[in-house]
Amino acid sequence: MQKGLVLVVDDEAPIRDILSFYLKRAGYQVLLAENGRQALEEMAKLQPDLIISDLRMPELAGDEFCQIVKGNPATRDIYFVLVSAMDGSASRIGGLNLGADDMIAKPFHAQEVMAKVASAFRIIEMQKEIKRQNQVLVRFQERMTAELNLAAKLQMGLLPEAPGEVSCVHYHHRYLPAEGIGGDIYSILPMPGGGVAIMIADVSGHGVTAALISAMVKTSFGNQIHLSDSPRIWAERMNRDLVRSTLEEQFATAFLAYLDPASHQLRYVVAGHEPAFRIPAGTPKSPEALHGKGFMLGIDESLPFDELSAPFEPGDRIILYTDGLVEVEREDRQFLGNDGLLGYCADLPQDGEAAVGHLLEQARAFHSPNPFVDDVTLVLLDRVR
Amino acid sequence: MLNIQTRQEGNASVVTIQGKVNFEVTAQLRDVIRDTVTTLLPKLLVINLEGVSFIDSSGLGLLVAARNSVDKNSGKLHLCGLPPQVKKTFDQTNLTNYFSIFATEQDALRGA
Repeated sequence: MQKGLVLVVDDEAPIRDILSFYLKRAGYQVLLAENGRQALEEMAKLQPDLIISDLRMPELAGDEFCQIVKGNPATRDIYFVLVSAMDGSASRIGGLNLGADDMIAKPFHAQEVMAKVASAFRIIEMQKEIKRQNQVLVRFQERMTAELNLAAKLQMGLLPEAPGEVSCVHYHHRYLPAEGIGGDIYSILPMPGGGVAIMIADVSGHGVTAALISAMVKTSFGNQIHLSDSPRIWAERMNRDLVRSTLEEQFATAFLAYLDPASHQLRYVVAGHEPAFRIPAGTPKSPEALHGKGFMLGIDESLPFDELSAPFEPGDRIILYTDGLVEVEREDRQFLGNDGLLGYCADLPQDGEAAVGHLLEQARAFHSPNPFVDDVTLVLLDRVR
Repeated sequence: MLNIQTRQEGNASVVTIQGKVNFEVTAQLRDVIRDTVTTLLPKLLVINLEGVSFIDSSGLGLLVAARNSVDKNSGKLHLCGLPPQVKKTFDQTNLTNYFSIFATEQDALRGA
């Protein structure tokens, strides 16, 4: 194997010759220079792995030369051994403070120098290996980041385009995944006869796995609504789909609802999810929470779900969200909770886009300075006719 | 910080958890519960949650998985000492009706 390149810098020709002789005999390649200035010129042509430099030299002395080498990002990783006639610890400390990696006292035995060179090259090899591995890691990380960004974009594509409208409902949203990609998902789809199917879900965990399952939840929901108009049946079938296709610790909380515009009723299932809020038309506003007691989806196939109902009339507003919005622990150990969020709903701007922004900012202000830690999704639905 | 302690009470294994149970610590807790269930095959596993200030969905998932693995060995899982914040999370997810929940550890051990 080719051994490394050593640059020997000394104004005394005999010393250059002796070091050159021993180094070459040991198999190293050698460059020679009479002072720091010449050494820099040599280095501009070919970069050495190791520099052995005298301290006292005309034109550019070893200490300044060392500082130049160590001050330049392109050369600072070159292993630098300073040779000094001044013996004693003060000189050693001085040399190491200049940035030299090691010191040799003059006069020296050639064997001592060769032993230092061998030890220096062991360190140089280790450093090179670390650099190589670091490059591999950096490349891996760049690739993962790029893929995550792509996946995050794709996931945004799974969400409805907001603001938007389906049948008699206008909707707005805020979607803030915790890690660029997350386990929150929602969907608003038209049903035959002017009805609207509504779903918001929060898959346990974060990141890629949660995101994949959230896509599965959305697909399952999209399938179920063609087969039935009962949120209870959707929940049962989505539960079954999730139990069969995920691992045992993976599940989702969900709020599923069907708006029947003819009867002005919202039939809904709360599957372990935060309650939705209904804000009836008219003033003063008296928002109410649509609580329900249902299991999360994906725990057990045999678990039952209850269907509840609430009025949803023209002018009414529904707020859906995931727990990341209200479950941030403040310094004083307080949580906003759904009661706190419900309080903010009594006084929202009429405009849907302004209202959803206002509500998010209220929640953020409550937790401040702590940031959201989980995926956060907030959806507002206005029934316009 | 999560503090987990396990001990034997006759045929029962008791796991006491203190701290915040969230995504970052579930791996640690999962190992303890798995080791307890697979090595001791307890007829009764009691998990004491008295010192738990917060539990998130990954923590709940872990408890569900614990119940499944105890079930497989024809054992029982009893939870006890749920603080209000944790009780609220259990109520909201209806898990109050999925698990056998006791007020105190003594009750949980007797309820075998």
